Amino acid sequence: MGRRRRRVDRGAAVGALPEAIAALSRTLPAGPSPEIFRRAKFDRPEAAPALWQLLFRVLSPLSADGASASPAQGEPPSTEAQVRAVKSELRSQGYPRQALAQLPEDGSQGSRELLLALAWLLARGPLLERLLAQTRVRLGDEIPLCECEALARPGPPVPRVEADGPVDIRHLQWLMGKLRFQWRKLITSQQEQCALLGKIHSYTRGCHSDRSLGHLSVAETELLRDAEGGQQDTVLGTCPPEASQPTFVPRIPERGAGEWELVARELQALQEELRGAAEPRRAAWEARVGGWGPEWSAVQRASREAVGLELAALQRAWERGGAAAQPHGPCRLVKSDAGASGGPGLRAAQVIEVLRSREACLEAVLCQLQRQCRQELARLAGALPGLIWILPPGR
Amino acid sequence: MLPADCSRRLVAELRDALDACAERQRQLERSLRVSRRLLRTWEPAETPAPQPTPAPETSGEAPSPESTPSSQDLKELELLTQALEKAVRVRKGISKTGERHKALSLKSGSAATSATTASAPSRPSGQASCRVSETKPPRGIQQTVVPARGLPESRLLSVGDRTHMGRGSRATKPGPGPRDQQIPPSAALQAPEAFTLKEKGADVDCWLPQPLWKPCSGLEGGSPQSAASLSTGFPDRILLRLPMAYRKAASRNSRLWAQLSSAQTSDSMDAAATAKTQFLQKMQMTSGGPGSGLSAAAVEAEVGLLRTACLLLRRRMEEVLSADPADCMQEYRCLLTLEGLQAITEQCLHRLQELRAAVVGRQLGPWPVGRRPGASLPCGGGTDPLWSPQLLLYSSTQELQTLEALRLRLAMLDQQIHLEKVLMAELLPLVGTQGPHWLALCRAVHSLLCEGGERFLTVLRDEPAD
Repeated sequence: MGRRRRRVDRGAAVGALPEAIAALSRTLPAGPSPEIFRRAKFDRPEAAPALWQLLFRVLSPLSADGASASPAQGEPPSTEAQVRAVKSELRSQGYPRQALAQLPEDGSQGSRELLLALAWLLARGPLLERLLAQTRVRLGDEIPLCECEALARPGPPVPRVEADGPVDIRHLQWLMGKLRFQWRKLITSQQEQCALLGKIHSYTRGCHSDRSLGHLSVAETELLRDAEGGQQDTVLGTCPPEASQPTFVPRIPERGAGEWELVARELQALQEELRGAAEPRRAAWEARVGGWGPEWSAVQRASREAVGLELAALQRAWERGGAAAQPHGPCRLVKSDAGASGGPGLRAAQVIEVLRSREACLEAVLCQLQRQCRQELARLAGALPGLIWILPPGR
Repeated sequence: MLPADCSRRLVAELRDALDACAERQRQLERSLRVSRRLLRTWEPAETPAPQPTPAPETSGEAPSPESTPSSQDLKELELLTQALEKAVRVRKGISKTGERHKALSLKSGSAATSATTASAPSRPSGQASCRVSETKPPRGIQQTVVPARGLPESRLLSVGDRTHMGRGSRATKPGPGPRDQQIPPSAALQAPEAFTLKEKGADVDCWLPQPLWKPCSGLEGGSPQSAASLSTGFPDRILLRLPMAYRKAASRNSRLWAQLSSAQTSDSMDAAATAKTQFLQKMQMTSGGPGSGLSAAAVEAEVGLLRTACLLLRRRMEEVLSADPADCMQEYRCLLTLEGLQAITEQCLHRLQELRAAVVGRQLGPWPVGRRPGASLPCGGGTDPLWSPQLLLYSSTQELQTLEALRLRLAMLDQQIHLEKVLMAELLPLVGTQGPHWLALCRAVHSLLCEGGERFLTVLRDEPAD
């Protein structure tokens, strides 16, 4: 029975292939025609350039209007640049086949290999859905709950004239101060935006055709207004497709291997310290407890379980950012007085809890780093006698 | 002065951070501009930016002689809205033929009210919706709810009803009148029950934002006109509604997303998933290298995670070591915790070795330009595709502000941690080598690394007292 079903499935699948390919070519950005796919299957060279371009568009993060990731450039990059970018991106994602890396850079060959690469990308993850999510129009006021999508997308590459010469450390201090000030300004602006958003949501309550939403978002309110102003058709087109904000993108670290060794050293040091602390305690404990009765074992088990739970929670703090149930990606903001009962959607209070725990974690990390620095500096400074170091107050 | 290459790297990092912050600020200001523009038509007295409003909107922005409403008025407005929503639910039982009745009754209602300032509310007869009168919005609202000149005449009517009523007495039965007009479109039954904008620029919504209130004296003259316009354009003129094209597109959109997400859970997906894994495995095997399927990005991210793990484990260890166990139980728990931490540390080390092996064995390619090496606390799963966005319900502006503030704080901490690591890597070696102006350098580095650049320590020379 199973075999028959499988054969039927395969038959059905073969029949569905042309449709699937047609749909694929419609969905993908700069989608090549199904004919290109067919030619690529036979490794025809004329199919290669289209596939290189497709892979480039798919792999380079899309900006708002679907243009390439470098809006600073007026036209799409050259074929060589595209080929190089695709190769490097695939390699960094872990593409296993070496054949791709060996294809010529003029983009004239290797269509079958490119087809394989595309298949690999499609099989690995929700590529189409991600593309769709990037380019869709955002109707609601969205708030991204986790920054991973933004992280996957590099910020706008701004060509910068760097300070070539040596700078004084006071310049660094000045830059840090400027940064702190900017953050403060950002926070104030954000609070104002929240207040305005709250007002708009209150005012438009009841206007939405979707009952579960209840009120309009900014985009929809704009639609209403501008529709009345006669700009009905253009408003849909100007709905902001990109609501998420880019995060901080540092430069390519020039000493990538250093981190690994640093972490290894730290972990080993920690292990030594833990061993040094735990072993004597265990020995002392065994000595004390050796003769105790069986009623003790139940208590012991309870303690073990409790400690196990605590440590699991600790592990979660760095492994999954504290909440496995945290949704991915942007959420639509909806102002609602409905209580915590029922209904779809997250409650802001819960999200706030999760964020607070993450904040505590990050603060701990930062404090720990600062403490390490203090110890290190104290050690270095201690080398010079004859000085008194007065730490700043307010610690 | 710092050495040139070190300077270059540090300045670049800090400028990156500043750029990221500036980008956020730009986006935020864009949103602020949009929001302010939208609110300006509802609260002309409140917005700080005194920009001239474009022509189509002037009709809707009669500056009210009244000042901005109090929070009490807002509350009452909200209560009114709730009452009206209840009315909608009641009205759902009404058949479609009730439309015509409504038209007639409203006309008669308006005629009645224009003729009189009686306190009796205009009550369309034979309306099942008379039941609505049991919803009683608070009284105070009667005196304050008035429209501006540019409002839809239908709304003028409704408010006129209420105002007329209110002037005569404190009778608080605005139910039938405004009820017909201010029904949340979510009832979504018949066209008249939806909201639509009446005229250009009069972009008011289901209930009246406060600054558009005016004394009702100007209404009496308008009522006959309102009656006239009502009779002509009733079904689609009275109510506030998103454009039809939009609603169609939006409902189709949500249907398609629902279809997409339901397709995910069907059986064929399992077959597809196995086919995918088989394909990936075959690719891996034919590629000629063992490989662990890891990408350089993933390795880097995990190493960062392990570093964070180390910090947190160490912090917990210090907590345990510094705590003074009061009794046997606590001593035992301390012991168990230490041993547990030790086990976890060993796991981490093991994982680190694995990652090292993967990197060395596969010669992972160079980092693509511009990509972030990895967050300090990245999200765990990337497998869940980004479907139609979930809803996030908040109940008050304060809650929303707290949420956003926390998000920003997390981003800021993330950035700070990264900068801290970078600065540590670059500056500590400099302090190690004594050069000219070493003291000043030391002081500055301490401030940057240990105090976030906010505070400075003082160095005194300890001169022996001669």
